[in-house]
Amino acid sequence: MGAKVPRNFRLLEELEKGEKGLGAEACSYGLDEGDDLLMTNWNGTILGPPHSVHENRIYSLKIHCGTDYPDKPPEVTFISKVNLPCVNQSTGKVDLSKLPSIAVWKRDFTMETILIELRRFMAAPANKKLPQPAEGTNF
Amino acid sequence: MTAPLPKRIIKETERLQTEPVPGISAQPHDDNARYFDVMVQGPDGSCYEGGVFSLELFLPDDYPMTPPRIRFLTRIYHPNIDRLGRICLDVLKNNWSPALQIRTILLSIQALLGAPNPEDPLNEAVAKQWKENQGEAIKTAREWTKLYAQPKQ
Repeated sequence: MGAKVPRNFRLLEELEKGEKGLGAEACSYGLDEGDDLLMTNWNGTILGPPHSVHENRIYSLKIHCGTDYPDKPPEVTFISKVNLPCVNQSTGKVDLSKLPSIAVWKRDFTMETILIELRRFMAAPANKKLPQPAEGTNF
Repeated sequence: MTAPLPKRIIKETERLQTEPVPGISAQPHDDNARYFDVMVQGPDGSCYEGGVFSLELFLPDDYPMTPPRIRFLTRIYHPNIDRLGRICLDVLKNNWSPALQIRTILLSIQALLGAPNPEDPLNEAVAKQWKENQGEAIKTAREWTKLYAQPKQ
């Protein structure tokens, strides 16, 4: 196993990757405040997957990376209203344990991993036709 | 688990403790021997004089084939250091050589504090101020040093 990359350098790597853009996966993320030396608060967006009720919708999220990230997962909360089994319907908070592929958190997972998995979850057969709140409404 | 620490890193770490560089310290974390808490004093005669700056340094897997990663944790007003503390310094990028060491890099960073280079900026806003009104820029750098870079105790 390789050297353990400390939180801050890991977040710098993620920031640099995020700034370059992820393209095809239709997710993006960045730092909330460009001078946040602790790199705690981030924002993310997910473009709703095609062939689902989410198609063409843009969902905003906030991501909070605590001091124990990436040993522990970040807190992820939808700002845009969305109806999904993994999202608390009064707060927008995401229950990561309900996302099958990342339910057991690994240190290698990134904010990008979470956004991509959320998007995949939206497109899953069980979720892609769930009735959704009006577009543009927030939690 | 984690691969054993290369001899080169062990030697460098030992030497940093036994023959410390004046005005610089680097202490590895107990739980990660590749991750260092660094302290650099602002050079005398510079607008960072009297300041004690915290940095963090990490030696990636392929060190010394690739340079250490390093950034300021103390806020600093400097044209070659950005708002997240990232440093624009040739020896940390294209001019890195495995013959360089942690100690030479830290000396280069201390020298950079003594010689800001607004012609090769990382922080455009600061570099602009530096070129247009150097007196004002230096004043701001001194103020920030007083505000953010005071020794803890």
